[in-house]
Amino acid sequence: MTEPSSADFVVIGSGIIGCVTSLKFLQRGASVLILEAGPRVVRDEIVARFRDSPRRGDWMSPYPPAPWAPHPIYQPKDSGYLVQAGPYPYPAEYIRQVGGTTWHWAAHAWRLVPNDLRIHSLYGVGVDWPFDYEALDAHYQDAEETLGVSGAPDTGSPRSKPFPMEPVAEPWAMRRLRERLAPAYPVVTNTTARNSRSYDGRPACCGNNSCQPICPIDAQFHGGIAAAKAEAAGARLLPNANVYRIEHDASGRIVAVHYYDPQKVSHRVTGKNFILAANGIESPRLLLLSASDKYPQGLANSSGMVGRNLMDHPSTSLTFDAEEELWLGRGPQSPSSINTLRDGAFRSEHAPYRLDFTNISRIAGTTQSLIDEGVYGAEFERRLRFSAAHELNVKTVLEVLPHPENRITLSDQKDAMGIPKPQAHYSIDEYTRRAAVVANADFARIAELMGGANLRYSKEGNFANNQHICGTMSMGNDAASSVVDGFGRSHDHENLFITSTGVLPTAGTCNSTLTGLAVALRTAAHVLGDAPAPPHA
Amino acid sequence: MYDVPAPMDTNGRVDETCQAAARDDGSGSPIALPSRRTVLAGMVSVIAATLIPRASAEVAPNAGRDTFLALSAIIAGPRAVDGPLARRLFDALQEDDPSFAASAGALLDLVNEQHLDSSGLQQALDATHPELAALPRRVASAWFMGIVGKDEKARCVAYESALGSVIVADRLRPPTYAYGPYASWAAQPA
Amino acid sequence: MPTPLSAMRLSRAALVLCIAAANATPVFAVDPATPAERGHYLALAGDCAACHSAPGGKPMAGGLAISTPIGAIVSSNITPSKTHGIGNYTFEQFSDALRKGVRADGARLYPAMPYTAYAKVSDDDVKALYAYFMGEVAAVDTAPPATDLPFPFDIRLSMAAWNLLFLDDKPFVPDAARSAQWNRGAYLVQGLAHCGTCHTPRNLLMAEKSTQALAGADIAPWQAPNITSDAFSGVGGWSEQELTGYFQHGEAKGKAQAAGPMAEAIDDSLSHLTDADRQAIAAYLLGAPARRDPNDTRAAYAWGEPGGDVDSVRGVPWPTDRDQLTGPQLYDAHCATCHGASGQGSFEGGLPSLFHNSALGRMDTSNLVMVILDGVHRGGDGGGVQMPAFANQLSDTQLATLGNWLLQHYGRPQAVISVAQVARSRTAATSASLIWMARAGLGAVVLLLMIAIAVGARHLRRRRQAGT
Repeated sequence: MTEPSSADFVVIGSGIIGCVTSLKFLQRGASVLILEAGPRVVRDEIVARFRDSPRRGDWMSPYPPAPWAPHPIYQPKDSGYLVQAGPYPYPAEYIRQVGGTTWHWAAHAWRLVPNDLRIHSLYGVGVDWPFDYEALDAHYQDAEETLGVSGAPDTGSPRSKPFPMEPVAEPWAMRRLRERLAPAYPVVTNTTARNSRSYDGRPACCGNNSCQPICPIDAQFHGGIAAAKAEAAGARLLPNANVYRIEHDASGRIVAVHYYDPQKVSHRVTGKNFILAANGIESPRLLLLSASDKYPQGLANSSGMVGRNLMDHPSTSLTFDAEEELWLGRGPQSPSSINTLRDGAFRSEHAPYRLDFTNISRIAGTTQSLIDEGVYGAEFERRLRFSAAHELNVKTVLEVLPHPENRITLSDQKDAMGIPKPQAHYSIDEYTRRAAVVANADFARIAELMGGANLRYSKEGNFANNQHICGTMSMGNDAASSVVDGFGRSHDHENLFITSTGVLPTAGTCNSTLTGLAVALRTAAHVLGDAPAPPHA
Repeated sequence: MYDVPAPMDTNGRVDETCQAAARDDGSGSPIALPSRRTVLAGMVSVIAATLIPRASAEVAPNAGRDTFLALSAIIAGPRAVDGPLARRLFDALQEDDPSFAASAGALLDLVNEQHLDSSGLQQALDATHPELAALPRRVASAWFMGIVGKDEKARCVAYESALGSVIVADRLRPPTYAYGPYASWAAQPA
Repeated sequence: MPTPLSAMRLSRAALVLCIAAANATPVFAVDPATPAERGHYLALAGDCAACHSAPGGKPMAGGLAISTPIGAIVSSNITPSKTHGIGNYTFEQFSDALRKGVRADGARLYPAMPYTAYAKVSDDDVKALYAYFMGEVAAVDTAPPATDLPFPFDIRLSMAAWNLLFLDDKPFVPDAARSAQWNRGAYLVQGLAHCGTCHTPRNLLMAEKSTQALAGADIAPWQAPNITSDAFSGVGGWSEQELTGYFQHGEAKGKAQAAGPMAEAIDDSLSHLTDADRQAIAAYLLGAPARRDPNDTRAAYAWGEPGGDVDSVRGVPWPTDRDQLTGPQLYDAHCATCHGASGQGSFEGGLPSLFHNSALGRMDTSNLVMVILDGVHRGGDGGGVQMPAFANQLSDTQLATLGNWLLQHYGRPQAVISVAQVARSRTAATSASLIWMARAGLGAVVLLLMIAIAVGARHLRRRRQAGT
């Protein structure tokens, strides 16, 4: 069987952004070839792997990497694939398999708030985007209708049309939080790509409470669904194709990509347009790997910004026991949050944040900690039931500002395929740390309103990571300080476009996926020559 | 005489949470509560097993399992009854560490010598017998989490039947299992 | 502002309702709505749309291609279009098509159109249906493709002989010994609801066997089960409430759930009936003659218990040849998520248990295979029940392995599924859900042509001499 060797659009990466964007090209009759480093996966097999796992708390355990497409693994020990250069650890997790990382997300599908795109003009921090929120409205809507997004109205992100469906039903525990925290803190149902009714041939949520690492019934949208849609629409998807070099001609035009198959045989694929959609770490890595005589700093990197301005969302948290029985674990994992602290004048002083309430079942965590504590017998049962019924957890989702020294580079260590590993340089600045301190007061007040006891704050100076990789190939109008223009086109290579959360120049306070996708759809519209979307009414 | 607790707490009352779980609430939990007959049979077999001298490191297989069951009753509580799950866990523990049965025997001896119960067990071991201190956690991980072994050798042997899930089966399903039709989680847990 | 006349009409209607309510349901429901509105209700009861509305097409405009081994039978346009539908039909012509299987141009309809059942519909009801089709249905001026069967199956005249043999065109006569409610149920079941069209087995010439009414029939790839009043083989063990709940919602907890063609019948027809009519149907079924299959030693919903062996798969890696996956491994990956680790379903049976479930309790395993292949879809696109289809996720071997394991552990252990059976169901399943009707009709045509009309006439002479 001959492998496909050329296409109108060669898409590198089969995650949610690469695949949904491909649909636009396919609808116009263009040929699309999607190259994915890793293998195909089957949902029900992932479910079985999770249940069989001896480390169910590790959400990567159902996604063992293929040797020819390594991704970071930290348990039972760090595989060392993502080299940590510090000063602060950046233990990013992502999946290099068909469908990408959204196989295991909590499906948060927020829009940014309009001021997130103008924090430099408004607050004197960070950078401004090369366009404003209105330019994204129609593409946000398009993305929401493709994914099947539902949410509470009026959470700070204006919209011109309603959500495709009603918000997901609120679990009892979240309802009690909402009732008891009002009016001090308005608790709202999260905006998620999760079905509150049958949608697009997929069922409504049935409360499997395992969104991370896998939705067993596809009630939440994920990259696997996007990949299936792209293939059904005529894309040729080639798994086990680890792209290691992008090739250009003398004028700088991209002409081909080279990939290794699992036997490390190299193959060359040509195309007219190239769409880089391999997540915010692997994409800059590939650009750097593709350095040539003409481009010794790597491709698309005349600014020197490829890999720089790495941002994610750090989190601090509080765990406590509420005075009433609530029983987390009934319904989806992440149903509700407080969204009133995402913007304000304080942003010139400290980062904004969201406050997320978890609904993840307490059983696995409590069981482990009781065993660690040496609690046995009837006392174990009593304490497990107590924690299962009473324990709550709230966390911050903090904004991080773009700093050029936070970046992804190439390590001098090589991975299993002989390709230089990605290396993370990361830190959390005072702007964000001050916000974490401020948030402690919110934590305390929330616990108080819930009649909370046994308060356990996350360790000071410790931040969990949320896997929302932004900034590493930032958009901007100035070619000297950005990697792509406002339409995602590389300043240096006319036919190279980047569709990834990595192009977002600021991170805001929410999961970057929907915004990355909306930006990508705007890029696709531009590539196809469509007029820019009219501003919303 | 060997003090193997029956399904009662240390004050001699029947544990209320066991009773609560025994009500038929339609959750369909497959793990039935131990009847007294079952526990008594376990006690008898333990007593019988103890007539076999423990001096040698090789313990007859049945005796090893019976010792394991006796320890399980203390560490994992009254739900840790004999049956297919107990056999699976014992076999897995033994495979992970061939000296498990022997160590378990030593631990049970200690328990009976010092009249240890579940609440004082770990403390006593940490203080006086550190060589056995890891053992209760291994038994607990097996019963409560269904996991045997550590790090690269860790293996899942049970998930839905692990007691951590069973203890709350009247209220929750283990993650990946549907709670119920859409919106069924909105109601107050009853 | 109500006029004195309309006020009188209203109060008279109210009086009629009260009388009707007080006397339980009369055989022919007198309804205060207009004839056309009543006709709309009756069209729902008769489920005309099931065949005459194609998916994505306009209502009643035909075009549903029912594929058969010898060609497609395409449902006709029965909108009141004067150029492409029945807009020029007189009442007599409408009635003859409905109750005698004769088109206005004199051509015979194939019994894919269940006119043998509709023969029971009363004159009043046909008048209401006529008013509905002529007055309320929007005319659609396009013709669906004509049914164009190859010779010799295009000879419709042969249906005349078949009708002579098998069409009982006597109108429905209530049984004076039975209650009004039972008679209403009989009228609906035998007539508009045409349950026997699926649920009554057929003879060699593809006519319903009246002595085996509702005793179950093969409607490949599905099976329409026995719905007589037998406690083991039929619905005798159901309460009237469970039956009416099933007709309305498509499920009876701890007993059964509607899927495939029955799910369509619930969604398109039975769920739209009045409570009284559903109760009447239930009363009729529970009072109709019982037919037992001697192999049935208990009801189909009485098999199985919680169990299964999910522990045995924990920590066991999958075989590289996925056709070697065991029953518990397949169950764990694909089914346990909704149906529970022990087959127990969700709390309170919102997601059904697999034991005490008639889908797994029959010797005929067609429906179990079809439910796994096609899933269960009830209640329309936006809600209701959605069990996914596993046709693309399971090979024939895997489905047979899984199905047999399910039968052993949660169902009827003597029942079996073969790999070849799964393959057959898969290909049959690509046709529309109600294709069997066409097969029945076509089977009749095929056999008729094999038996010369002369043989048929001789048979008829003998029957007349025998005085039947």
